[in-house]
This record gives sequence, C-alpha cells and structure tokens, in this order.
Amino acid sequence: MSTDSSHTPAPWSQMLLRTVSELKAQADADGAALDSAVHDDLRRLFQAATTLERQLATAVSDSHHDQMNSLAAIRGYAEMLQEDIGAEATVLGDSLARLLRAVHTAHNGADTPPPAPQRRTIAAEPGFILAVDDLQENRELVARYLSRSGHLVVTAASGAEALQTLTETDVDVVLLDLMMPDMDGREVLRRIKEHPEWRATPVIVISGSQDMDGIIACIEAGADDYLFKPFNPVLLQARIKAGIERKRWHDREEQYRQQLERNEKFIRATFGRYLSDEIVTEILERPEGLELGGDLREVTIMMSDIRGFTTLSEQLAPQHVVAMLNRYLGTMTDIIMAHSGTIDEFIGDAILTVFGAPQHRDDDADRAVRCALAMQAAMAGINADNRAAGLPELTTGIALNTGSVIAGNIGSERRSKYGFVGHPMNVTSRIEDHCEGGEILISDSTASKLQGTYILSNRRELAIRGIEQSVLVQRIQEADHG
Amino acid sequence: MAESGPILLVEDNELNCEMLTRRLTRAGFAVITAADGEQALVLMASARPALVLMDMNLPVMDGWTACRAARADDRLRDIPIIALTAHAMDADRRSALSAGCDDYATKPIDFPELLAKIRRLTAS
Repeated sequence: MSTDSSHTPAPWSQMLLRTVSELKAQADADGAALDSAVHDDLRRLFQAATTLERQLATAVSDSHHDQMNSLAAIRGYAEMLQEDIGAEATVLGDSLARLLRAVHTAHNGADTPPPAPQRRTIAAEPGFILAVDDLQENRELVARYLSRSGHLVVTAASGAEALQTLTETDVDVVLLDLMMPDMDGREVLRRIKEHPEWRATPVIVISGSQDMDGIIACIEAGADDYLFKPFNPVLLQARIKAGIERKRWHDREEQYRQQLERNEKFIRATFGRYLSDEIVTEILERPEGLELGGDLREVTIMMSDIRGFTTLSEQLAPQHVVAMLNRYLGTMTDIIMAHSGTIDEFIGDAILTVFGAPQHRDDDADRAVRCALAMQAAMAGINADNRAAGLPELTTGIALNTGSVIAGNIGSERRSKYGFVGHPMNVTSRIEDHCEGGEILISDSTASKLQGTYILSNRRELAIRGIEQSVLVQRIQEADHG
Repeated sequence: MAESGPILLVEDNELNCEMLTRRLTRAGFAVITAADGEQALVLMASARPALVLMDMNLPVMDGWTACRAARADDRLRDIPIIALTAHAMDADRRSALSAGCDDYATKPIDFPELLAKIRRLTAS
C-alpha cells in the first residue's frame, strides 16, 4: 500500500510539506532572535522533513517504516520546540502548531486536529532562580524558559554545587530535582530548610516519577511546591511567580522586623538608664502612649536628700565619699526601678524621680509612697554597711508632691535628655528642704491621689518662697499591719 | 522513590534516537542507547535498565528476535520491554506481544502516552 502512495502522493504529504516550508520561512525571519538550542532543533526537524520528502518521492518496500521514522522525528522535534519556546504566543509557535496538526492528519488519515496548545503568558516580577539538576538537557531547558520570561537563572549540576551557590548569592527561588547522584534533592532540601538564612527561600521540588508519597514527604520537609517532569512551561512559570512573591513578602517582613529591632534597641539604650525595664517594655508595646515632643502631664514627683551630706563630705576622704554615695545611690536606684519610677537626675546626693511619665499609670502616687517607704526602710542596711566600713551613718529625707509638669526631650541639639520642667518640680524641692532625717513628707495634692491606707500625721502649712499660696504637707508612714 | 536503572532506548534512526533521548531526559529519566538488537542484549545484561524501548525494525538483529532472546534468558526475563513500531495494525501489536514485549507504541510517538506506559511498567 505504501508503494501506491509514492506514485500518487497522499493529500496529507503536500499539506505537511507546505507547513514545513512555512515554518522554515518563519524560522529564517526570526533568525537571530532565536536561541542556539532552538536553532539546533529546527535544523534537525528540517533534516527529517527533507528525508521524508525524499522517501515520498521514491518507492521502496520498507518506505512505510522509514516515513514513520521521519514523521516521528518531525513530531518529536516540533513538540520539543513548542516546549523550548515556552508559553509565548509567537508566530513561530503558530507555525509549529499547524505543522503538528498536519503530522496528526498524516498519522491518522483523518483531519481530527490535536488539542490546541495552551497559549498563556505568566507575567512575573523578575527573580533570581537557582535550577538544580544533574542532567544538562534539563538545566538548559529550565534556564531557557525562565530567562526568556526575564528571570535571572543560575544552574547547579549537583547538590554540593547548589549549596555552594546559596552561600554566595541571595536566591529567590530554588528549583530542585529530587533524583540526583551523590547528594539527592531531599538532602539538599533538608539542608536548605535547616539553614537559618536559607530556610525562607522557597523550594520547588521536581520529580521525574509521579511519586506522590515522595512529594508529600518533601512538602512535610519544607518544600513549598512541586512539579512533575516533563513540566508544562506555563505551570512552571506560575509556580516560579508564586515562589518569588512569597520570597519578596518574606524579605519585606524581615526588613520590617529588623527595623523594629533597631528601634527597640535604640529606645532601650536611650531610656534604659533612667527607666525600669518594665516601663521600657510597656512603651515598646504601646508606642502611641509615648510622646516625647513635650506634653503637659500630671505626675508625682519624689525628691530625696541625705541630711547634712555636704558637711559630712568635707570631713571624709574623697574616695570614701564616692564609695559611700555610690552604695547609697545604687541601692536607691534599684528600689526606684522596682517601683517603676523614672529617675530624672542625681544632683549630688539628691535623687529626683518622677512617677507617671513617660507612661501614666493609675497608681502613680501610691507607687511613689511605697517607693519612699522602701527607701527609708533600706537605710538600716546601708548604715550597717557604713558602720562595718568605719563610715558615719546617714539619714535621708524624702518629699512627694503631685502636679502638672511639662515632660519631654529638653536641651540643645548637642545635649538633651528626657526631663521635666514646671512649678511642681520646684515646690517638691522646697518641701524637701523641710524634711527631717528619716521622714517622708507628702503634699495634699499627693495625699488626695492615694488609694492605699497609710498613717498620716503632723499636717502643717509650709510657706514657700516665691509662691503666694502656702502648701499643706503631712508626714506619711507605713500603716500598721494586722 | 527507589533508585532505578536507566531506560535503554534501542533505535537505529539517529534523529529519533537523539530526539527520544532528550525528551526522556526532560521527563526525568536517565537514558542509555543501543543501535541494534545485539547491542541491546549486551546492555540489558550489563547495565540492568529499568525498562527497554525497542524499535522493532533494527539492523544486525531485529527487535522481535532480540525480544524473544531476552525472554529466553533468565537474567533478562523480568526487564519490561515496550516495542516501538511503525504500524498501528493489530497484527503488529500481536506479534510484538507474542515476542514477549510488555506493551507497544506506534510511531510517530504520542509522547505523553509513552510516558504513561513507561511509568506503569516501572512503577512496581
């Protein structure tokens, strides 16, 4: 029967050869725009077509087998070329589709065209892709697909090479073949997902077999997606796109996290010395509650002072003065921090502390009182140490006052600190002048804020210099327990 | 997945051999090739392929003879063989199967269909 077809060529042969010359014209027109790999496959396709043409023109007994071999090569290369040129809607792609329809007709003797190939392009933000495959053909194929859609592709022929590339460059997506000699894909995946810097890099695993169990194991081991070979170029691009987007999100998130960490470090470094950890943490958690621009707020101010310290310091050796002062201030600082007070400054032996800034709390006045009581209670221990060191004993007086002050960063550009200004600050200092050793005096403004129970006594009026109104103060002591 | 041997492609037509080797490689298989039946039998014994794709119309020793010889050999009996034929006719299919082939595919090859056959035969 094949002998007959050589004398009166079948209608399909003319159609087929026409589509081949069409393809050839298109390939010549595209010329330099085509990859060398595409050129090679086109050359082989035309070689098979030339052979087919010769076979059709001569009649030999074995011609059916030979013709089918030629048709097989034409079809095979045409399909590979469709894969090669990827999912782009090109004129060359259309020529290939027409040729394949003609091959199909030649094979089946009927004009039932094969399903039209998908023509879809996935537009993605360009990414940096690492393609890992031990087979060169596959590395080149992936590189061709992806570089055509604007991605930067590096390839690795082994697991070890892939890990080396990861140490050298910041990769967006890893395309990982599972079946490789030496270190297989699963081992590479495990190492990527265990590495602190690589673990966020999306990994798409590629399996040659339809081995779903193997894929599931990989996804459990941290793989982000998978493909089976031979892969559909559109699907590959879609998955790469999704991978790049995932990586970009992660990068942005990481950047944001680092920024926050830097801010937190800055805030801790700036305030840590005069704010308790608790307050710093509270500020960091609710940053909207902190305005450093300077604002008027109601605070309870505490001022403490060692009685007669100036006279004392004149009688002692300087190193003894400093040692004694540091022991005293160290103990007091711990107590103030424990009561969430903000130390505004040390003035010699005096400590100026504020409760209620930068963060207001409802128990500011109570905390201030408890803090003052704890400071007085701590004097016994400090004096025991002083006695042991042959130093004189100390007594301290503490004044508490509540009022509105301006809180903010105060100073010049070269030197500024978070501090407080306002009349109540001065009033506190004047009250402090009236304190005796071991005494705590609170103004009425503080007393009116207290929620706890204390023993108040000796209420009296203080005339204060520079103030027309007098200030009412009283002594405060721990309530009897039980 | 268990490590399996390569696919042995037995095909004397150079273009088809090159084309199928590359398409199978793209599909994730390792491929070794032979150009005639005798070479095929030698490679089946030495390389232990997971499967053989055998063109039937081969020089030196044709596919049918090679196939029968493999089936008669205890060492090669269990290697699956898919016959590649130029004829879609029933007679061809029967002669391939009676020579001991496990399946067959007609040229020009429908590649996805061939892959399905390979995977079915290498799955166990």
